[in-house]
Amino acid sequence: MTDVTPTAEDFSPATSSISVEQISRPSLSYWQDAWIRLKKNTRAIISLYIVLSLAFFTLLGPIFWNVDPSLQDLNQISQAPSLPKTAVLVGQYQRWSGIVLEDFPAEPADYPDSVDAVTDLRPFELATTQQVRLVWNPVVGAAGYNIYRNQRLPENFNDLGLPLGSTYGGNEVSYEDRLSLESRPYYYAVVPTDGLDEYEVYTVIEVTPSMIITLAEASDRQLIKDANVAQTGTALKLEFHPFGTDYLGRDMLARLMQGARVSLFIGIVAPFIYVIMGIVYGGFAGYFGGTIDSLLMRFADFVVALPFLLFMILFKIAFGIGPGESGIFPMLIALVLLLWPATARLVRGQVLQIREQGYIEAARLLGAKPHYLILRHIIPNTMGVILVTLTFAVPAAIFTEAFLSFIGMGVAPPTPSWGSMCNEGVKTMLSHPHELIFPAVFISITVLAFNLLGDGLTEALDSRMRSRE
Amino acid sequence: MRVTLAAVLLLLFNSVNAEFNTTSVNFDSQSITIALTQEPPQLNGMKATDQVSILVLSHIMEGLARYDRRGNIVPGVAERWEIDEKGATFWLRDNAVWSDGLPVTAHDFVFAWQNALDPATASEYAFILYPIKNGEAVNRGELAPSELGAYAEDDRTLRVEFSRPTGYFVNLTAFTTYFPVRRDFFESRGDRYAADAGDLLFNGPFKMTKWVHSASLKMVKNENYWDRENITLNAIDAQYITADTRARLNLFIDGKIVHTALDGETYKDALTQRFRIRRFTTGSVFFLEFNHRAHRVTRNLDLRRAIQHVFDPHEMVNKVLATPGNLPGESLFPVWLNGVDHKFRREYPAPIVQIDISRAKQYLAKAREELGLSKIPPLVLLASDSPTAAKQAEYLQGLLKAKLDLDIKIDIQTFKQRLAKMTAGDFDLVNAGWGPDFDDVMTFGDLFASWNLNNRGRYTNPDYDRLVRTAMNSAVPKIRMDAMGELQQLIVDDAIIVPQYEQGVIYLLHPRLKGVVRRVVGADPDYTYARVVQ
Repeated sequence: MTDVTPTAEDFSPATSSISVEQISRPSLSYWQDAWIRLKKNTRAIISLYIVLSLAFFTLLGPIFWNVDPSLQDLNQISQAPSLPKTAVLVGQYQRWSGIVLEDFPAEPADYPDSVDAVTDLRPFELATTQQVRLVWNPVVGAAGYNIYRNQRLPENFNDLGLPLGSTYGGNEVSYEDRLSLESRPYYYAVVPTDGLDEYEVYTVIEVTPSMIITLAEASDRQLIKDANVAQTGTALKLEFHPFGTDYLGRDMLARLMQGARVSLFIGIVAPFIYVIMGIVYGGFAGYFGGTIDSLLMRFADFVVALPFLLFMILFKIAFGIGPGESGIFPMLIALVLLLWPATARLVRGQVLQIREQGYIEAARLLGAKPHYLILRHIIPNTMGVILVTLTFAVPAAIFTEAFLSFIGMGVAPPTPSWGSMCNEGVKTMLSHPHELIFPAVFISITVLAFNLLGDGLTEALDSRMRSRE
Repeated sequence: MRVTLAAVLLLLFNSVNAEFNTTSVNFDSQSITIALTQEPPQLNGMKATDQVSILVLSHIMEGLARYDRRGNIVPGVAERWEIDEKGATFWLRDNAVWSDGLPVTAHDFVFAWQNALDPATASEYAFILYPIKNGEAVNRGELAPSELGAYAEDDRTLRVEFSRPTGYFVNLTAFTTYFPVRRDFFESRGDRYAADAGDLLFNGPFKMTKWVHSASLKMVKNENYWDRENITLNAIDAQYITADTRARLNLFIDGKIVHTALDGETYKDALTQRFRIRRFTTGSVFFLEFNHRAHRVTRNLDLRRAIQHVFDPHEMVNKVLATPGNLPGESLFPVWLNGVDHKFRREYPAPIVQIDISRAKQYLAKAREELGLSKIPPLVLLASDSPTAAKQAEYLQGLLKAKLDLDIKIDIQTFKQRLAKMTAGDFDLVNAGWGPDFDDVMTFGDLFASWNLNNRGRYTNPDYDRLVRTAMNSAVPKIRMDAMGELQQLIVDDAIIVPQYEQGVIYLLHPRLKGVVRRVVGADPDYTYARVVQ
C-alpha cells in the first residue's frame, strides 16, 4: 500500500468543463450545407456549368466574336459550318449581251419533227460564282434553246434539273447563269426547242465555278484595305463562319449569341419576377388564411382563366408597339402578370400545411415573432416547392418566347431570337438543316440544363430531405 | 401520321421508278386528267374574275379573237376586222355556231357587253369594256345599256365605236368579259345561267358535259366548233379540285394528273424524283413602291433616288429569291409586252440604273438637307406574309441599313390587310406587284396615272398623265409606244418605283403531253392545242 500525502492542490475545487459537447467538424450554414450536397450531384454540377457557360456565351461572346449579326453576306448564303473559304478577287460584274449569230436564222423555214443535239457546248470564259457563261453551236431547225442545271449527272431527258432559262431564236446560242452559284460541280444541259416545245435531245457539260469576290464587296467588308491597291486575281480568305450562315448569309454564331440574349432575358427575368410575386401572394394568403385567403385565391383563379395570347396582343397595342418593333417588353409584362398564380397556389398550400406543424407551434410558444417564423421556418421549408416552380418556369418562359417569336409576335427583324431562328430554319429544314438544328439544340440544352440544375437544387435545399440521408 | 405519309411516298417513289405508268393521259382516246385549284366560282363570262373560271371559260367559249399556240392574236368568231381611231368592224365567220347548232351572231356580242356593263350585273371586270363608246356611262347607270356604242349591223357584222382610240381593242376581245352570250338562252335560264353544265351554251373548242360541284368537271371536244380539225384532244377531265401543292404533287407522282405547279418546298422533292421541271414567267411585275403622299419622307425625290441606286435586281433574283424562272426587274414593263414590230423592251430598252453607293450617299445627304433632318426617321416597309415576301423585306432592310444607314421597320400583313394599308397610305415603302389584265402596254402603263385607284402610293405628275393620255388617245402604234417609252424613262428618272423582279413559276407537266401553252393573259395553262403523243 502506498502512502499518499495529500497536498493543498488536491483540495482545490475541480475545474468544471464549460463545453458540454465537442463539435468535431466545422459548423456549416444552411447554404454551405446545400452547396456541399449540390456538389455531390454530378448532373446538377454539369448543368450549372452549362448555365454559366451560356451566360458567358451571351454576355462575353460578342467581345470575342465581334461580328454584326445582321450583316448580310450574299456570297455565302446558307453555308453549312465549314473552314474559311478562299475566293479570287475580280473586278466589277460586266454585262454580257450574249452571242447572236448573224448568219443563222432565228426561226427555221419549217419546223422539223426532230433535230440534232447541240454540239460544242462550252464555257465562254472561266466560270465563277459570279457568272457562268455558256456557248454552243446552233442546231438546224431549232427556234430556241432551253438551259437546265443539275447537281448530278443527268440520267435521262427527264432528269436535267432546274430549268434556268430559254433563248428565243435558233441563232441565240449563249446563256448566262447567275442563279445562286456555289463552288461545286454543276451539270448544264442545253435542249433545242421549236420556240415552245422541246426536242428530246440534250447535251451536258460539267462546270465547276471558282469562288470569287468583287473588289467593291471585298473593300465593303474590309477584307482588303484599299480597293485601288489590291490586285485582281489574288486569292483572298473570306469571312469565317464557324456555325455557317443563314438564308441571307448572316453569321449563325453571332445570331445565336444575340438570340441568346433575348431568350435568356425572357427566360430568367420573367420567371424570377413572377415567382417572387407568387411567393409573396401565396405566403400572405396561406399565413393569414380565412376570408383573406379565400378572396385572394379566387382572384388568382380569375387570373388563371385569362388567355395569355390575347393579353400579349392587347399589351402590344396598349404600349403602342407598332409594326416592325420588338414585342419583347409586352411579352415580359404579359408573362409576369398572367403566370404568377401557379406559384401562389403552390406556396399557399405549403404554408397552410407548415403553419400547423408542431415545431412552428413550439417556436411560437417560445416567443418567436411572425417575421422570424416566416423567414426561419416557413420559407426554408417551402424552398423545395419554390425552386421546383422556378426551374420549371425558366424553360417554360424560354419556350413561350420561342413560340411567340416563331409565330411572329416576338422580336422584330433583323433582331434574332432562338425561336425566330427556328421559325426561319424550319422552312429550309431539308436543304439547310444547320439553320434549324443550331437554335433548336441551344433551346433544348438550355431547357434541359435548367431542369437538371433545378432538380439538384431541390434536393440540396430541401431541409426535409436531410433526414432521409 | 408522318410515318404513314413517308411510307406512302416511298411506295409511290418505287412505282414511279419502275415505270411512269399513268392514267392521266390516254393516247388512243386523246384524253387527259387535270386538277383544278378550286371549284370555278363563276362561269358566267360577264362576271368571271378569277384564274380558274377564266381557265375553264377560255376552253369552252370563244371571243371575236383568240390566242394561238404562240400567243399571237388570231381570228376567233370574227374571221376579219377593220380598226381605226373611231371604232372597229368585225365580220363574223359563217361556221361559228353554238353547241346547239344555231349560229353565233353579232347580237350575241352586243347582248353580252350590254349585260356586263349593266350596273345590275355588278361585274367587277366591267371597266375592261370602257373603251367602247358610252361604256363607262352605262356602267355608272347614267345611260341605258342600249346606248352602248356596239351595234349589230346584221347577224354577221358587228360595229364597235370607241370612247377613245383603242389600238389594242382586238386584244381585249380575247378576254372572257368580251365573250358572247345568246339572249334567248340566257333569259330562259334566268338565275340558273352558268350554274351547271346544262345551263351554259358553248361556242369554244370544248364543251362542258359534267360538273359535279366541288368534286369534278369534264370538258369534251365540241364537234360543232368551227376549227375542230385543229383540236386534237377529245376530253379534259378535271377529276380533282385541290389547291394543296403537296397533294397535287402526290397526284402527279401517282400519274393521276398531267400538270402541277411547284413551290419553294415541293420543287426539291420533284428534283429528287427526277421529274422534268419546267419554267414559266407569269407576266407579273414586282416592285418597291414609294408613298408619294404629302408629309411622307419618301415624297422626296433624292431619298427615292438614293434607294434606287443601291438596289440591285440581279442580286434580288439570283441570291435572295434563288428559284429559277424569275427575271431581274428593270422596268415597269415586262419583257413579254409587244411593241410596234417586236417586243416592247427590245424597241425601248429599259434605262439601266448603275448601282453606285457613293452617288446614293450623295443623294441621301441632299435628301436630308432638303427635308431638314439630321437623320432620316425609320421607314415602314409593308410586306405580305408569305415566306418569300418576308425574306425579301429582310433583305431590303439589311441592304438599306448597310449601304445607306437607313432604319427600316418591317410591317408584315396578310394580302388583304396589306392592300387595305396601301389604300389608306399607311406605309413608306411597300413590296407590291401588278399582273396584266390584257395584252397591251397600257395594262401596266396607266398604273401610276393620277386617276388610277390602283396607284396606291398616290403618285401625281402631269407629265405622267399626259404620256398615258397620249398613248390612250392614239391608235397609231408608233405614237403609243413612243409615249410608253418616254414613260419608262420617266419612271426611272423620277424614281416612282424601284422594279424588283418579273415573277416566274416552275411546274411539272406530263412528258407525253405536248402543246400545252402557258399564258400571261387568259387561260393558263391552255390545253386547247395540246395533244398526247405515244
